Amino acid sequence: MIKLNNIVVKFGDFTALHDINVHVKEGEFFTFLGPSGCGKTTTLRTITGFIEPVSGSVVVKDRDITHVPIEKRNIGIVFQSYALFPTMTVYDNIAFGLKIQKLKKDEIDKKVRDIAKKVDLSDEQLQKAVSQLSGGQQQRVAIARALVTGPAIICMDEPLSNLDAKLRVQLRNELKKMQKDFGITTIYVTHDQEEALTLSDRIAVFNKGYIEQIGTPNEVYNFSKTEFVCNFIGDINRLSDEVVKQANAAGAKLDPAKHNYVRLERLHVNVEPRPGQVALDGVVTVREYYGLYIKYYIDLGSQTIKVIEKNDGVRIYEEGQAVQVILDPADVMAYEPTQEGEVAK
Amino acid sequence: MSQTLGKKLHPEWLLRVFGIAFFAYLFFGFMLLPCLNTLTSIFNTTNAAGERDPFAVIRFFMAGTMGKYVWNSLKLAVLLVITVNVVGISIVLLTEYFDIKGAKILRLGYMTTMIYSGVALVTGYMFLYASDGILTTALKNAFPAFNPNWFSGFNAVLFTMTFACTSNHMLFLRNAIRGIDYNTVEAARNMGANPFKVLWKVVLPTLIPTLFSLTVMTFITGLCAMSAPTLLGYDSINPEIVRLAGSSTADEAFPQARAALLSIILAMFTIVLLTVLSAYERKGHYLSVSKTKARLQKQKINNPVANVLAHIYAYVLFIIYMTPVVMIIIFSFQTYSAIRMKKLDLSHWTLINFFGQEDYQYLTSRGKYKTRVGSVSGVFSNEATLGGIKLSFILSALAAALACVIVVVAVNYMFKKKNKGSGVVLEYALLFPWLLPTILICYSYRTYFNSNAVWYVGNTNLYYAQNVRFLIVMAYTVTKLPFSLRMIKASFYTIDEELEDAARNLGSSPIRTFLRVKLPIILPSVLAVFALNFNALFTEYDMSATFASTYGTSYAMVIQAMCAEEGLYGYNINASGRRCASTVFIMLVSGLILYLVYGVGARDLGDRLEIRDRRRKRVEALRAKFSKGKAERADA
Repeated sequence: MIKLNNIVVKFGDFTALHDINVHVKEGEFFTFLGPSGCGKTTTLRTITGFIEPVSGSVVVKDRDITHVPIEKRNIGIVFQSYALFPTMTVYDNIAFGLKIQKLKKDEIDKKVRDIAKKVDLSDEQLQKAVSQLSGGQQQRVAIARALVTGPAIICMDEPLSNLDAKLRVQLRNELKKMQKDFGITTIYVTHDQEEALTLSDRIAVFNKGYIEQIGTPNEVYNFSKTEFVCNFIGDINRLSDEVVKQANAAGAKLDPAKHNYVRLERLHVNVEPRPGQVALDGVVTVREYYGLYIKYYIDLGSQTIKVIEKNDGVRIYEEGQAVQVILDPADVMAYEPTQEGEVAK
Repeated sequence: MSQTLGKKLHPEWLLRVFGIAFFAYLFFGFMLLPCLNTLTSIFNTTNAAGERDPFAVIRFFMAGTMGKYVWNSLKLAVLLVITVNVVGISIVLLTEYFDIKGAKILRLGYMTTMIYSGVALVTGYMFLYASDGILTTALKNAFPAFNPNWFSGFNAVLFTMTFACTSNHMLFLRNAIRGIDYNTVEAARNMGANPFKVLWKVVLPTLIPTLFSLTVMTFITGLCAMSAPTLLGYDSINPEIVRLAGSSTADEAFPQARAALLSIILAMFTIVLLTVLSAYERKGHYLSVSKTKARLQKQKINNPVANVLAHIYAYVLFIIYMTPVVMIIIFSFQTYSAIRMKKLDLSHWTLINFFGQEDYQYLTSRGKYKTRVGSVSGVFSNEATLGGIKLSFILSALAAALACVIVVVAVNYMFKKKNKGSGVVLEYALLFPWLLPTILICYSYRTYFNSNAVWYVGNTNLYYAQNVRFLIVMAYTVTKLPFSLRMIKASFYTIDEELEDAARNLGSSPIRTFLRVKLPIILPSVLAVFALNFNALFTEYDMSATFASTYGTSYAMVIQAMCAEEGLYGYNINASGRRCASTVFIMLVSGLILYLVYGVGARDLGDRLEIRDRRRKRVEALRAKFSKGKAERADA
């Protein structure tokens, strides 16, 4: 469906994208994830045509659109700020692209009302100014405006970043449902790993203009290819050399020459170790109560590590209490040491 | 090759070339060259023997009385800074900081200068305090020894300008004081500071940057004062420049060069002050670091004596501000004789000063009574006044619109070329007139274009006959460019850059995007700038006075003419009545414009739709009520 072949983008002397290669399948919800300035929005803007690469090609449905003007690419965009025209009503916002296509008034009206119905906007809301709508309704208008012209792809640039936490979760679900209903290929840009994991079919993790890993949410979370990906996605403990030594002394067989990481939920407190698992002695220094789960900071002597335990209401440990941390060496992700700031290409 | 040519002949490329040519023409032709001509004309002097003597005017300045005008202007500017700040800070503190009873009414009174200023305000004060003014007449009747000419010269100018120049304090200092985090005041009180200590140590220091800006602006206003010194008789720089501009070498020594020298001196002062101001502004203002800013609450003056004194002071100021306004409004509805006698006649109210035209009888020198038609006439029925209004209306509207169009096009370009040199050059070119006093620009126009030798205006004398109107429009436009640029540029910052991307993505061309997406967003600001420009130009005096000619008699000049003593013959009959009515008319126009700008213009589409919705519901409710009543009556 969409192929980015060896894309390189430069801003003056600065190379923003280094040889980007992505293949997005038809109907897929594909996310570009990464920290600020990593190149995810630049890649999106290269696909939409706002940025022209210095080399490489953008191919959509086997058609090279690298040098096709923005308006002729047939790609809908939902912007971070929604970019709704404040001086127009909701109706006029949605109809804007159709008017430019010089469609007949009846046809425009039908298309606007159809799409509004699909995104759950009432006739009354169509006549309102965009400033009179809530954040969620504005998002629907932005999606309707992007979809009404019948694009082949829809690109979303951090559309939830301006919303409060509760609304973000609510709209995330709506967004996923809408994407499934329309069945449209979607490229989504975010720096929020939770958003990426919950929404995407596949994720490309960006770092400093490179893609470090492309995979399903499970792949990037549980089988992070690079140290950067494993650090960026979710919370994680990097085991110190001392702890690795402790674990190996208990029979873990971890490679001390590598950087060893283990996710918080893979560690357990005061449970009977199964074969192959090792127990490390520690003391609870801080307990954070989240309701659904409890996060413990446990001092292992040489390092304080974080552990998440499901809140079963029974096994709750006090600060200062001596505990055993159970580690399964199979859960440890190990990486060759890299220099500070180095990118795994 | 043909592809390159085709690309070059693209409408957008042609438009850009035309734009660059236009702005270059505007900058060089109507900003730089006329002013350079003024600068060089200082050294274009000849001595008594007819020989070229480049430094003659400098020597004249050093030796003669010219320094008096500079000194007088400086004296006015320095004292004005003190008096305006004292009154300006007082009125803001009295209405915003201290708990003074009737603060809302007081604020309205103090804000009257926003709807009548310049020549209208000066004539308003003269109506009260001049030798034949109401108050002076009353005082003279009460105390025959009272000097009727007490309101003239420096004191009168200082008094009038003090109250005329506090509008900026009411706008900017008020906003600054409202932006103070009340928690800081509470914190100071909590630590034992009394209200005056809090004012001195906490509140005033945060206002210093605003006060500094206001001080510099007041100083420049004092230095460039025109209408008050002219009408009240004070020898400062600007009136002297205008006088010299109208003089000839037959009357006095190199008047043009002297005028040029004075205007360059004025320009140097302005440039130095604005540079100081910019440098200071670059240091930045105090910003509240509070995340949860509390609204300022009025401070009670606990000391009863101080409280009474503050109230007395507040209401005395209120009376000074309001008396001319009230008197002018009342007298604008009085008869000719009541105005002439400066005595209220509560039994006779009339609209003659606005719309009337009445025969006036007078005794001729031959001893016969003769009826003269239309001798007493109102603002809208007096040919000269109406002519002035019409001319000012057209020229001001044209210039205000032209300044807005030029600036909108330029700012749109600047935003497109944000980090490019051409955008920066354009911006500085449009800010150029800000560095120069208005009088320098106008004087330069008057002298430079008063010739058939300027090739780029088609060798046409632009100061000749009706051409002067074009010159006035150009001067109005050029002087309004910096203000328009600052305001409109600020409004461009409110446009989300993604809107342009969104429009492009939906297939919109750059021109369509500009017209349908960007322009509607900035339109309220553009209209506001247009209205404020128009408001300032409609009764503008300084430029009109410089361009004074039969074909360029603006409304302000007509009002000035009305200040001349009432004559039995000619159009000046009922001048005082028309003057009052004119001031009322100006107040109405200014008030309406301010309402349109800050009331209607500030509403966004959502507000407008809500208002429309409420109106529709009200009409429906009324209709339902009416039809219900009708049905009940039919049933009965």
